[in-house]
Amino acid sequence: MKVRTLILIFFFISSPFAGSQEEYIISPDYQGLSFEEFVTRIEAYHPVRFFFNEEWIKGLKLPQFDRNIHLTDLLDTLLTGTSLYYYLDEAWNVVLTKDFAVRITGKPEPEERKYIPGDDYTGIVEEAGTAGNLVMNIGNQADRNKPGNAIISGYISNLNTREPVAGATVVIRELSVGTISNEFGFYTLAVPRGSYTVRVSFLGMKERLIDVNLYGSGEMNIEMKSTLIPLKETVVTAEKNVILRRFEVGVEKINIVSFRLLPTSMGEADIIKSILLIPGVQSVGEGSSGFNVRGGTSDQNLILLYGAPVYNPSHFFGFFSSVNSDIIREVTLYKGGIPSRYGGRISSVLDISPRDGNRREFAGNAGISPVTTHVVIEGPIKEDTCFYLLSARTTYSNWILGLMENKALRNSRASFYDINGRIAYDINRKNKIDFSGYFSNDGFRFNSDTIYRYHNNIFAFKWRHFFSSRFFSGVNLNNSYYDYRISSDKTPGEAFMLSHRINSTELKADINWYQGSRNEFNFGINLTRYEVLPGSFRPAGDSSMVKPDIIQKQRALESALYFEDKFIVTDHLSANAGLRFSTYFAFGPQSFYIYNDAYPKSSSSVTDTLHFGRSENYRTYAAPEFRLSLNYRLNDNSSFKLNYNRTKQYLHLLSNTTSISPSDTWKLSDYYLKPQVGDQFAIGYYRMLNRKKIEASAEIYYKMIDNLVDFKGGTKLVMNKYIERDLINVEGRAYGVELLFKKQEGRFRWSIGYTYSRILTRTTSNLREERINSGKWFPANFDKPHDLVLTFNYLYSRRFSLSANYTYSSGRPITYPVAAYKVGNIVLTYFSERNKYRIPYYSRLDLSMKISGNLKSKKIAHPHWIFSLYNVLGRQNIYSEYFKYEKNKVQGYMLSVFGRPIPSVSFNFDF
Amino acid sequence: MRYLLLIILCLSLILVAGCIIKFTPEIEEDNTLLVVEGMITDQNMTNKIRISHALPVGKVITPVPVKGCRVTITDRHGSIYNLKESSPGIYITDSTRFRGQVNNRYRLNIVDGGKSYESYTMEMKPVPPIDSIYYEKVLIGEDEFGVPIEECQVYLDTKDPFGKCLYYRWDFSETWEFILPYSVPNYRCWKSAYSGKIIIKNTSVYNQSRVDRFPIQYISNETERLKVKYSMLVNQYSLNEDEYAYWERVKSVSENVGGLYDVTPMSITGNVYRLDDPDVPVLGYFSVSAVARERIFIDDNFIGLPNYYSYCPGDTIRYPGPIPNLNISAWLIVDNSNGQPPYRVITYFRECADCTLRGTNVKPPYWDE
Repeated sequence: MKVRTLILIFFFISSPFAGSQEEYIISPDYQGLSFEEFVTRIEAYHPVRFFFNEEWIKGLKLPQFDRNIHLTDLLDTLLTGTSLYYYLDEAWNVVLTKDFAVRITGKPEPEERKYIPGDDYTGIVEEAGTAGNLVMNIGNQADRNKPGNAIISGYISNLNTREPVAGATVVIRELSVGTISNEFGFYTLAVPRGSYTVRVSFLGMKERLIDVNLYGSGEMNIEMKSTLIPLKETVVTAEKNVILRRFEVGVEKINIVSFRLLPTSMGEADIIKSILLIPGVQSVGEGSSGFNVRGGTSDQNLILLYGAPVYNPSHFFGFFSSVNSDIIREVTLYKGGIPSRYGGRISSVLDISPRDGNRREFAGNAGISPVTTHVVIEGPIKEDTCFYLLSARTTYSNWILGLMENKALRNSRASFYDINGRIAYDINRKNKIDFSGYFSNDGFRFNSDTIYRYHNNIFAFKWRHFFSSRFFSGVNLNNSYYDYRISSDKTPGEAFMLSHRINSTELKADINWYQGSRNEFNFGINLTRYEVLPGSFRPAGDSSMVKPDIIQKQRALESALYFEDKFIVTDHLSANAGLRFSTYFAFGPQSFYIYNDAYPKSSSSVTDTLHFGRSENYRTYAAPEFRLSLNYRLNDNSSFKLNYNRTKQYLHLLSNTTSISPSDTWKLSDYYLKPQVGDQFAIGYYRMLNRKKIEASAEIYYKMIDNLVDFKGGTKLVMNKYIERDLINVEGRAYGVELLFKKQEGRFRWSIGYTYSRILTRTTSNLREERINSGKWFPANFDKPHDLVLTFNYLYSRRFSLSANYTYSSGRPITYPVAAYKVGNIVLTYFSERNKYRIPYYSRLDLSMKISGNLKSKKIAHPHWIFSLYNVLGRQNIYSEYFKYEKNKVQGYMLSVFGRPIPSVSFNFDF
Repeated sequence: MRYLLLIILCLSLILVAGCIIKFTPEIEEDNTLLVVEGMITDQNMTNKIRISHALPVGKVITPVPVKGCRVTITDRHGSIYNLKESSPGIYITDSTRFRGQVNNRYRLNIVDGGKSYESYTMEMKPVPPIDSIYYEKVLIGEDEFGVPIEECQVYLDTKDPFGKCLYYRWDFSETWEFILPYSVPNYRCWKSAYSGKIIIKNTSVYNQSRVDRFPIQYISNETERLKVKYSMLVNQYSLNEDEYAYWERVKSVSENVGGLYDVTPMSITGNVYRLDDPDVPVLGYFSVSAVARERIFIDDNFIGLPNYYSYCPGDTIRYPGPIPNLNISAWLIVDNSNGQPPYRVITYFRECADCTLRGTNVKPPYWDE
């Protein structure tokens, strides 16, 4: 038998705010007073009149409470468990009755409305109520017979750390309704009055079951206790009903707890590696930075950290994500159904929600693996108001390189570090602010003297204001900066420094309004100012003859107004309709050549030059973006969803390599480069199988993309002043089916995901020079039609768990050389049509084992070991195929990155 | 970016994992693409234009000549020169009648049966002489006895004080002498090779047209180049901007491979196109360059060179008389390398007994002792 120990519940019950009556606030000054004394005082201050028999209230004392509470809440608390009831009329006459409750005639209580006998609330409830749960009364008892729905709302927070719990599931079993808490931990449910069991669950937290007597609308704040080790057997994780209720198609949330369980390649939990297990998400290959969502390129993903975009998502050639998983609470990936508050990228949004930090006490964790080490510390600065979280991570791969036999490798260096810091300050109950900072730095040098460095820096300030518990605003001001520098001083006369940078400052203002029981409005404005330095090439050192060269900076302002409404149309149908209106202004100073349209753009087809002065707006792009999601709940076990969204993107990553390379540059839309436009239609069907233990879903999407960019062969992208001459406009279409079955509860958990998807592109120009494959459709570099992902987790005990995952995918397309010829003594090759062939399929099995030390909570540190084995099958998965001329013929080579099983071990401990 | 291959290798080594496998792709295409390539220079020499068909990948490259074309060159003034086919697919100018002029512009025209081809009009840019070519010994490490191992880096300096030549290309031919360490009739030979790499430099990014310490060739000790005497003849070509762009593209596509960030391969066509159907790809390039030449000799003592003939001796022959069936699959050599009285050995490798198998025993005219 499961024993539910519900220790320490903090809650307070308030009377209706949606109702007509005013409420009277009782301050803690009254606590402990006798009832009689209390009545005397309150009648003196407020137009409230009490009617009762003095005999009944002898010995009745006000309970201890440490903050302001509503009068009705107080009465509810006070009288439950006694034989007394009260009746409240509209004139604030409070009539106490003994052994019976006043019932308003003519409105008989519906039969199904049965209330559980109230229970005395003394602060700590071990076991109570019919099902052994805590019993709570919500709303004014006198309203118990009113018609219509009542609304329960409140905040869910972590008991141990006091952080809000976002994404927790709140479900009323009897009614099969549920919801999910938002990023502030706030939830709201509109249900008929009655008695129910509310179940609150969240991965890594103890499930809460609360018996509720719902008399009227009210607030119920819930604290949840995190399980010390997230693998606890009793944890019920599934957001079972949630998938049926969520509006959007193609939204995936990954909790930090679940991705810590995944096998790793270098002993470290990693966000991007985790999301690659989601159907519809792929990458070019192992060790490639970035990811592709439903046929989108990797620059079409908006990666948000502290609300700010991250311009380079990886460290160390893509083997690590640039965001340390220690600071993450959860990540949400929108593959489709992108809410209108997000914009600026067309394929997906990866929203990384950072942890607030432990609000109760100093805590932290640290870990080491063969390649990296990381540490986090967190805690309150000032009790209950000010909190911090600091994390740092670095690699020490250099010592390994230093041990290499090969001189070239021994002289190579590669390193990175990242630091995250965050301070949250709760000014008062209505205002909360936080400051966050992120600094990441990568540097590498090969045997050559060329040094590569890149930095991602983010600063963010966020202010949340709660007008009421149903009306919040958020203001986010952030700055994101990315640059890289490539320098060489091998030949002093040619020593150079090549740099590129992008700097964006964004202001977001956002309003969330839970209006009534059916609507949740979300509207706001985003303003982003961009400044991009496409490239600067400067001498390094006094003896350098390098002629300084700077490509004109690009400046632009992107603004967006958006509005969305999540509304419940009927019991079965809910909708999320949104509109985002984005406007993009490109500003001078800037100069452009005008070309004769009949010819390819080149120096010989220039007809005119345009100059635009400082702050002169030379190009504006404006358009509405519609977003719509419908969710039709067929029954308790299944639902059907429909989604359409249009997205626009004004910022482009210029890359002519198969995967993002560290020297790729960002470019803003300008006179020639039009914004990318994506339109996606998706349909999804969701069903719970096997008594809601297994969750099954099928999604189909079709996507059209306009104004993708490709390049003429061999184009130099860096320091290219006339890049418009080398751009090729491409359109794309992507479609696919994603099937997912998963069981996320119990000791044995698994998932099976299969995706069939295609992404095809074609050039749109009529000019031969601007066409690829004669303008026919051809697959994109990351077109991998079949993709199968299996995951297994076996939680043997709280201290020991095993997990495995298997990935299969079709080989990506590749272009082969088909003919060879000589120019002088140089052998060159002529290539097939673009991406006509494919590399062999990809198959990989990983295993990992997690062993935790003694779980006694008194121990100062809780250690755990993770042993993992990557690519157990040892398959030499091919990353790329390439060709070199040797011995009078062109020889093909296949390169694999991890061709053998790779063991790794990491040691972590929480303190 | 090619260094990224190294890091992959390096990570692979850390993890004892990654690898590179040879393979032959299965290609189901049948292309007979026309290749037109050649160069006209400002030198008093015969200029060659080669017309051939490209070959499928995976075969030894010997071009299939296209015979019987009518090939002409037209200059800026409209003068037309006819080229004549000297051997199948090779069309030459008459050095007494045609010589390229700096600052003139040239266009190539080809008529092959009913098909006509034409090149863009290319300008010949002037080229400065090569300032100097020099080498430096490179210490690459030590062998197991602590003896240093040396290799060689050859550098080139050049400059155009008038700043007319902004884009350079180089190629070179190398010749080295090698000596078999045995008493055989043909023991001293010369072997030649041509550079097969695209060596280009853009000086328009500097404030002078000046190239310093350009690493034109690295000579490793894997071959006998450093053993006796080595010579290198470097050709320095002036390029116009178009031709530089062509070579830069070709280089980018053909050399940035084998790493994590391979450039998406694309066929690059040159400056020749078919008149009636410009969509038909024509490969190759019609180059118009002024040329400067410079030769360097390297006659130095490099330490730590390996013994290139350790595999030669098969068996010592004690019998002093003639051996029947010799010179069919085995050869007799006299080894006097140890300074001891020479002894006769049998070898199963003909190149150990006869240097003309790998080179020529005719001393090149420029080879001074």
